[in-house]
Amino acid sequence: MTYKTTILAALLSATALVSAQSVQAADPIKIGVVTPLSGTYAGIGQQVRWGLDLATKEVNAAGGIMGRPVELIYEDEEANPSVAVQKADKLFQVNKVDFLTGTVNSGSTLAVGQVAERAGKLIATTVSFADSITADKCSPNVFRVNARAGQQSAALAVWLSKEKPKANVFYLGPDYEMGRSTVAAFKASAEKVGAASTGEVFAPLDSKDYTQYFGQMRAAKPQVLYTSVAGNDTVRLLTQMQEFGLLNNLTVVGASGTVTAQNLPAIGKAAEGFVTGVGYSAEIDTPENKKFVAAFKAANKIDPDLYGADSYGLIYAYKAAVEKAKSTETDKVRTAFNDLKWQTPQGEKTLRAGDHQAVQTMYVVRVTGGKFSIVGQVAGTDAIGPDACTRF
Amino acid sequence: MMTAAIEYFQFVLAPQILIGLVLGVAVILVALGLTIIFGLLDVINMSHGEFYALGAFIALALASVGLPFWLLLLLVPLIMLPVGYIVERGLIQRVFHSGERHVTTLLLTFGLGLVMEDAFRLVFGPNPQKPPVPIAGAIDVFGVFLPLYRLFLILGGAAVVALVALVVYRTRLGAMVRAAAFDRHMAASLGVPVQHVYAGAFAFGVALAGLAGVMLAPIYSVFPTMGRDFILMAFTVVIVGGMGSIAGVVVAGLLLTQVQAISSLYISPVWSDPIVFGIMVIMLMVRPQGLFGRLGHG
Repeated sequence: MTYKTTILAALLSATALVSAQSVQAADPIKIGVVTPLSGTYAGIGQQVRWGLDLATKEVNAAGGIMGRPVELIYEDEEANPSVAVQKADKLFQVNKVDFLTGTVNSGSTLAVGQVAERAGKLIATTVSFADSITADKCSPNVFRVNARAGQQSAALAVWLSKEKPKANVFYLGPDYEMGRSTVAAFKASAEKVGAASTGEVFAPLDSKDYTQYFGQMRAAKPQVLYTSVAGNDTVRLLTQMQEFGLLNNLTVVGASGTVTAQNLPAIGKAAEGFVTGVGYSAEIDTPENKKFVAAFKAANKIDPDLYGADSYGLIYAYKAAVEKAKSTETDKVRTAFNDLKWQTPQGEKTLRAGDHQAVQTMYVVRVTGGKFSIVGQVAGTDAIGPDACTRF
Repeated sequence: MMTAAIEYFQFVLAPQILIGLVLGVAVILVALGLTIIFGLLDVINMSHGEFYALGAFIALALASVGLPFWLLLLLVPLIMLPVGYIVERGLIQRVFHSGERHVTTLLLTFGLGLVMEDAFRLVFGPNPQKPPVPIAGAIDVFGVFLPLYRLFLILGGAAVVALVALVVYRTRLGAMVRAAAFDRHMAASLGVPVQHVYAGAFAFGVALAGLAGVMLAPIYSVFPTMGRDFILMAFTVVIVGGMGSIAGVVVAGLLLTQVQAISSLYISPVWSDPIVFGIMVIMLMVRPQGLFGRLGHG
């Protein structure tokens, strides 16, 4: 089966290359995008692509970066770190990209970060949640412009302590880097505000049937379930829980990637009441965001989600950094990124120099009537937490 | 002590066994078509998972124009029959008679699967979709909670298996199929239209995959790469049960999914796949023909 996906990826990347080559003429700034265009996370990759495409179109229409047009070169990573490494290597060595982004799976981001270090290039993730990327596994060549698990869970824990004080919480995460780190992060935040942990289970990525964990869940008698599964896995988890009557008298909270515009229609009523801490919502009521949402909707006929918005914002961060550095050279751009402040649809973000993590206002959103609405807000400095990066 | 044991059985073990049973039926439904195609045509159908997905997508499309689920259970396999027949006559027959039959048909169906998966994404988009569960509600089986649709899956799956076994072992059509599987030259010389039997058997296997797609979609949702979901497990079941054996699929399907369900109570569920594939490897070493023999053979 892996064989199959590799061949599939090869075919896909061939078509992606052909379409990318015909876009730009003289001396463009090349940005490689290694993102899942197939598999469980294809929906996320699609938002990444839409966000990047829209910002690139706007930047190019306004004269590019330092007069040079921006060119995006896509590769399918299938949310598989080993595929992501090959594709990133190819983009650096063959396509000679100046900068790279797009990785979704946190394992892919960490692995591609090492490829970037060897190639002497910079990358940024706009999606990955795992705290370690900008903490104990931080890299001088890796930046993150989206909110990490710790920021999301800090915001969510503040909400939980107000709405469900001293709740019994059960945790269910996907069994890999992101799942384990999101659960650990929320558990720490929730216990700090008085919640009791009644059990945890980690299910393999792409699990078909979550019913085998329902016995444990029932026995733990939780009032709140925290989950960080994503994509189609959430569809299965929540609809199967509904089927087994487990959603009655239970508040489901989760990571910001758990329920998104991509899988919300498929989850349907089972998503009702779901609460999450998130760095972006299409509902944010500012002129900048309204303008962004309108342009995004006009291009793609769907609302942007956090992935689309953060990917859109990244192009402007890179533009700001390159213009500040007056160069696309790695060391100069890295220095320009440090403590860079730039405008995004969700307001001003700051890239903290100490760990390369973006600091931003956090929101708490709830699904009501099949739509997300904002129910709370936490200042960026209150949600960010200490700098745990010691490498630089 | 005694009550603790009973409670453990009622609240932990029994639900797990029941849930494993549903998963077993799902795997058997997918593996059934696979084993029939292998048993008769000697073709390893690598695109079987995609035919399962095709069934689910056809059901989704037909449901969106207002057709009820119960009609789709009948309609989708009927639509899949000519699809399978055409694929066998148009594609598989072209490479079937070369000396390297196993390699050529494997590559052909493998490529077909790739094309189908991409076509699903182009036509239906990458996002998951989920048909509503056709029977709402749940029952208590001796204190164990079971949604009605899952109960229907268990009973419906058993009925499908029984029906397939009846057709293969108790009808004149089934006798022709088994005869062609055992010795196609002898069968042909006795007047069995072997070409049509082959295409028909492939179509039958594909229709079963489509039926599995319709039945499982309300639980497992529908998306372009769904064909990969059950296919590894289905192949394992076919190998352990004996390539081409219907009884083998049922026994191995139930056995392996129970091993998965019960083992995941005690060790991390991440290990449930390695355990099952380990059993397959041991089976291939000590009894390569599987638990039961091939279709048409003693």
